[in-house]
Amino acid sequence: MASRALAHCMRSVARASARLNHGNVLTRSACAPLASDQRALSVLSCGQRTRWTDLVRISGPSVHLCRHYGDLPPLTLENIKERVMYVLKLYDKINPDKLQTSSHFMKDLGLDSLDQVEIIMAMEDEFGFEIPDAEAEKLMTPEEIVQYIADKKDVYE
Amino acid sequence: MAAAYLTHQQKVLRLYKKSLRHIESWCIFRDKYRFYACLLRARFDENKHEKDMVKATMMLKAGEEEFWANQHPQPYLFPDSPGGTSYERYECYKVPEWCLDHWHPSEKAMYPDYFAKREQWKKLRAQSWDREVQQLQAETPADGPKSEVLPPARREGDLPPLWWQFVTRPRERPM
Repeated sequence: MASRALAHCMRSVARASARLNHGNVLTRSACAPLASDQRALSVLSCGQRTRWTDLVRISGPSVHLCRHYGDLPPLTLENIKERVMYVLKLYDKINPDKLQTSSHFMKDLGLDSLDQVEIIMAMEDEFGFEIPDAEAEKLMTPEEIVQYIADKKDVYE
Repeated sequence: MAAAYLTHQQKVLRLYKKSLRHIESWCIFRDKYRFYACLLRARFDENKHEKDMVKATMMLKAGEEEFWANQHPQPYLFPDSPGGTSYERYECYKVPEWCLDHWHPSEKAMYPDYFAKREQWKKLRAQSWDREVQQLQAETPADGPKSEVLPPARREGDLPPLWWQFVTRPRERPM
């Protein structure tokens, strides 16, 4: 979760430096998802803001403004799949080379039902919402997890 | 889950999950939580090969009592989960889809493609409704349904019963 927020901040900062317009708005939206302990990044974006305020006067505005107001970036199916695979690769009982979207936890990866509970808990922590037990015990492959999350979050409905 | 009762395995897994969540609420630092989570996992692992169900049930009961004694008074709840801060917060904005039919024609004219498609979907729903009801009546046992789970579509080219409610369910976060 933290790594995703950090990557998003870096990407939004890089995008902002490419556009040169509305530097203030973009730094605000880049600074919004920053956590308080990521001081290095905030220093970086504060340093860049002073450069952009000089350049804002030069070019005219024609940038699509999108304010998220403290909401998370919108989910896409690829993004969900990426995050699920990332979390699964971090788990030490899974061999990252053998891991695929269709690999069954019990049959292909040789995991336990307790491991499956831990994996589901890691998914809950990653995406920030609870997966009830009745539905969690049925999710046995990463593909099913991705579909369940997409179903719950109305992604590509 | 088809039956109304939980199996022993399901009970053990639920106890494991909620005790991990409460340990997470107690040990706020991640490395400390990880340490106690591993200890708990070791405790569950050493007893998991128990074949005697009586003994296993006694252990489960002891585990539940230990959980009750050591639970956190205000465990961390996700915002969307029951008891969380944002639970059912957007329920009032989830308008049912039949309200779309009550729009004024001038408003409907703003989205002609959508409403044209909607007419097709409604025709499809009207066609398949009788077959859905038939299938449900055939498959429900005489005393009444045992669970809320709906059966899938049995015949080729048929739609699953009560699909309209599922397809037109409101969004998670209404606009």
